[in-house]
Amino acid sequence: MEVSFSKEVEQLRQGAGETFHGEGILAITKALLQSGVAYVGGYQGAPVSHLLDVMVQAEDYMAELGVHVEACSNEASAAAMLGASIHYPLRGAVTWKSVVGTNVAADALSNLASPGVTGGALIIVGEDYGEGASVIQERTHAFAMKSSLLLLDPRPQLPNMVRMVEQGFALSEACNTPAILQLRVRACHVRGSFECADNRAPAMSRKALRDEPAAFDYEKLAHPPATFRQEKLKNEQRLPAARRFIVEQGLNEFFAGKRDDIGLIVQGGLHNTLVRALQQFAMGDHNLADAFGAAEFPLLVLNVTYPLVPQQIADFCRGKRAVLVVEEGQPEYIEHEILATLRRQDVNTAIHGKDLLQMTGEYTVEAIAQGLIKFLARHAADLPLAAAQDWLTANAARRHAVVEQLAAPLPPRPPQFCTGCPERPVFSALKLAQQNVGPVHVAADIGCHSFATFEPFGFGHTILGYGMSLASRAGVSPMLKRRALAVMGDGGFWHNGLLTGVESALFNGGDAVLLIMKNGYTAATGTQDIISTPDEEQKASAPDKRLSLVDRNQTIEHTLQGLGVKWLRTVPSYEVDTMRRTLEEAFTTETGGLKVIIAAGECQLERQRRVKPWLAGLLKAGKRVVKVKYGVDDDVCSGDHSCIRLSGCPTLTLKDSDDPLKVDPVATVIEGCVGCGLCGENAHAATLCPSFYRVEIVQNPGLGERALAALRRGVIGLFQKP
Amino acid sequence: MSTLQPITILIAGLGGEGGGVLAEWLVELAIRCGHPAQATSIPGVAQRTGATTYYVEIHPQSLAALGGRIPVMSLAPVPGCIDLMVASELLEAVRAIQNGFVSRERTALLASSQRTLTTFEKLAPGDGRFDSERLLQVAGSNSRQLAAFDVGGTAREAGTVPSAVLCGAIAASGVLPFERSAFEDVIRASGRGVAASLRGFALGFERCGAALGAAPAPTLVTQLDLVALGHARVVEFQDAAYGELYRQRVERLKAAERLADPQGRHGGELTREAARFLALWMAFDDVVRVADLKSRAGRFARVRREAGAQAGEVMRIADHFKPGVTELAGLLPQPLAQRLLDWESRRRRDGKSPLAMPLKLRADSISGFFALRLLASLRWLRCRGQRYAEEQALIERWLAVVETAAANSWETAFELALCARLIKGYGATNERAKENFRYIMNCWTSTDAGTIRRAREAALADDSGSALDAAMTQAGASARAVKAIPVRWLKRTGHRT
Repeated sequence: MEVSFSKEVEQLRQGAGETFHGEGILAITKALLQSGVAYVGGYQGAPVSHLLDVMVQAEDYMAELGVHVEACSNEASAAAMLGASIHYPLRGAVTWKSVVGTNVAADALSNLASPGVTGGALIIVGEDYGEGASVIQERTHAFAMKSSLLLLDPRPQLPNMVRMVEQGFALSEACNTPAILQLRVRACHVRGSFECADNRAPAMSRKALRDEPAAFDYEKLAHPPATFRQEKLKNEQRLPAARRFIVEQGLNEFFAGKRDDIGLIVQGGLHNTLVRALQQFAMGDHNLADAFGAAEFPLLVLNVTYPLVPQQIADFCRGKRAVLVVEEGQPEYIEHEILATLRRQDVNTAIHGKDLLQMTGEYTVEAIAQGLIKFLARHAADLPLAAAQDWLTANAARRHAVVEQLAAPLPPRPPQFCTGCPERPVFSALKLAQQNVGPVHVAADIGCHSFATFEPFGFGHTILGYGMSLASRAGVSPMLKRRALAVMGDGGFWHNGLLTGVESALFNGGDAVLLIMKNGYTAATGTQDIISTPDEEQKASAPDKRLSLVDRNQTIEHTLQGLGVKWLRTVPSYEVDTMRRTLEEAFTTETGGLKVIIAAGECQLERQRRVKPWLAGLLKAGKRVVKVKYGVDDDVCSGDHSCIRLSGCPTLTLKDSDDPLKVDPVATVIEGCVGCGLCGENAHAATLCPSFYRVEIVQNPGLGERALAALRRGVIGLFQKP
Repeated sequence: MSTLQPITILIAGLGGEGGGVLAEWLVELAIRCGHPAQATSIPGVAQRTGATTYYVEIHPQSLAALGGRIPVMSLAPVPGCIDLMVASELLEAVRAIQNGFVSRERTALLASSQRTLTTFEKLAPGDGRFDSERLLQVAGSNSRQLAAFDVGGTAREAGTVPSAVLCGAIAASGVLPFERSAFEDVIRASGRGVAASLRGFALGFERCGAALGAAPAPTLVTQLDLVALGHARVVEFQDAAYGELYRQRVERLKAAERLADPQGRHGGELTREAARFLALWMAFDDVVRVADLKSRAGRFARVRREAGAQAGEVMRIADHFKPGVTELAGLLPQPLAQRLLDWESRRRRDGKSPLAMPLKLRADSISGFFALRLLASLRWLRCRGQRYAEEQALIERWLAVVETAAANSWETAFELALCARLIKGYGATNERAKENFRYIMNCWTSTDAGTIRRAREAALADDSGSALDAAMTQAGASARAVKAIPVRWLKRTGHRT
């Protein structure tokens, strides 16, 4: 792991009377323990990675409580893990990034939802939607509807989020239905506080084992004919039971307003944003909402967005002239359901939503305010809209003015490979290889290597999902004169690339090139360990901690050989020229079938975590340390920057030339260079220019070494020009 | 600002700078001082140096004053409603302004004056950097109050990370109703690298205080005698005679400019700029010059300094060379060189990779050093070599073109003179540059100054040459002949595909 969560792990031990201060996702994690969860699983991915990371690092405490924690190989295996709650009174929670993770989990979810659960089953998903999202923009809501899962969307204030976890389990048990709790990106990272309760050790657990397995019960199988009855049960018993519980426990919140002729229905997760939007409407001395959320109109806050409670909706709307539904994302499932339920119950309140609010994209304060203006103009003409309108106009004017002032568009700043990343050199090699063999079709994948789609590389024709690259070229390579390349990380390989890609290509005799980035971790999600991660002993025993250790774990190689991959090459990822030649061979060899190149180089973040304390220790002990850095002679650099177009390293940048004759900026290597060697490798592989040098600084050098250096300096000094 | 509105702080930074820590500190600060606070973030792929933002809200009233009432705080920053905008990088500050967050009425802006260039800006073969002056000006004219200073540099000075420096700056801004000591207590309580953090905090506090309201210092431009500099460069490159040749060429440029601009309306700009590029061109980069530059005492000292080597530490320098057939041929007389180059191009045509010898030369070792000095001593060979002849021929061509153009228009002659800026680099880079240069020279007659400038800028905008092609053909020039490159089709095998 890249980060240590020791502090957070301590927070998990907090009990009644103590106050938790911290991130939303950690509050959720604590809430799981307060709810007596017996097993936890999942697959890492922003914004929910920390849940599992902390649980994994809290190994000892989890053992104390008897809680089983599993870092699953993908979301499907995580969802399948919830099968434990079908027969047994076990509360289980799993987590992943949605919508992508839910897609992967969908099969298991359907087969879990159909028989239903005995113990509470909670799925914590990070709804990766809007600003900062890294996946396709779809809603988890659709899965809840199609599989009749419960969907919670808590108002993002820590006490309420914690309550929804605890109630979520209870609700799940009350209606034998698995529940999804969705958190938007900002809700996962929100820092706040809540009053802790004691953690509850589960009754049945790793410490309190059950003697016998459950009795055979065909009705608990997602298998015909049981499935037909299960579908009836969902709609005749479970959902009604859920609705009863939601009302009895007041899971959805009603906030009264000063006037009752109009109202607002909002997803819990959007409550704060809606309140802030209402605050932009000034009426004399006060706003449509005050700092504490007290609003002019009544609010129905849906902490549970599926199922809705028709009676509750009708009661809220009845007698109102109009109601605005504030629902993020598309299609507008909630709005449609509200419209249908009111029509059936003959409640004729005007319902607005996507007709006035923007259809797509994140619901920011501005977006909601714009919808509110339209809504109020139509149904509350007495309210002054000027303040909000002026504010919006001013924002637009300001943006426009700045664009004018700038005259040129601001360059974007997408994420990129870290300094010293072992994947960057591989794409340098690919760029060079294509100069010799011509352009190839590149099937890209999910992972750090997808940063190669940005400058200076711009590689990747398609991204079809995590571990899908090789499979996604199956229909392409037979149609092209040149071989297609599939790039895959070791994370994607184990997540599902091995089966969907490799096995399929082998079985079908697919003639393609697979490039596996073996950096040893699922690096993009925070360098979580995988089955091919070098183990701790190997790290501890390594004499030189700077070296990549991924070669110590051969699981990937053995797996591929076992499957029958004949053409398999492993190339250290920093050897640009060797990698270029290997790629060219793979693209042009007469050998058909699947050709796999493993680019071996350990994640630099992980290496630095190991190296920094090690070097500090050596220096402290006065031991000999060699510090490596690369540099550019600016009087030799001609300011063409072809080195940068082949690298893009953050520490290889530009500065004004000291030479008054040169007008173009020259390349320079700034502080932060980890001496990975790429600059030198590229200079050689691409015949760049002779301005690059590698400098080694020997700290605490030996006596002989010092003497030799002095001798050299002496002799050289005699013949050296100033 | 009503006492019931939260104090809003937006922090824009780059991944791995500790922006998260800063947000955490501010929340901790508020809690210790008994105020409700909330922070959220869009970390992006935070470790991976992308743009990231953190947002903090602190309620101006203490919990005691609130008497149990809980304020509802926003998870997202609201455009025009930010009290304090903090940016650890200048472009990111302006990005936030462009997104509408910063308001002239309400927002105090603390921004680092230094740039971390985006990859996009670094790619251009010329200068693709966004104008920092303009960024500073936009930052100043769109905020209530701007404090700009070098945050990164200050952090390095204090041996800490930007977050500590920014924390000090925030304390100095006075936007938060908390004492300086309260800020420092939070840092002390954080427990890691406290001393360094406090040093950074103090420097940040001081420099922000000084920078508040102060206009950023204007950059002063000094007029240098480029001709003298150029002459010195050329003499150093070869010898006095070569320097004399430089002078003669400059005289020709002077004469041409006098012809085009008798009243000297342009103050001799053509001669000055042309002399600049002429010097760089005449002192072209070859193994002899590179070896000379790399073996100098001044260079050794600079490398040592930049690597941060302390006294008593041993330094080793390994230089990356890859001399190829072209470099060798460049030093040989024309007929010999031509035979060698023909042989090489035959090899290339057969799909063989260019012949070159990758070297890691230890410049600090005695053998390595003398190898460099030996190469550097080959001046006498250089001026008899094929590269030398080729460069002189092209320079003469360029001079003639400028002279002819000067007879009609100073502007056209000036733009053509500036085209010498394209000539730079080594090996393939240099060849590409010359192709572009020749392309423009071949077509100039049919074009006006503006077209030449656009063509030159296009040539400096991307290395593929496609921008130049577009610019030229748009101006009615005939397209370049397609370059022959070896193409390899894949032989299908018996395998099913």
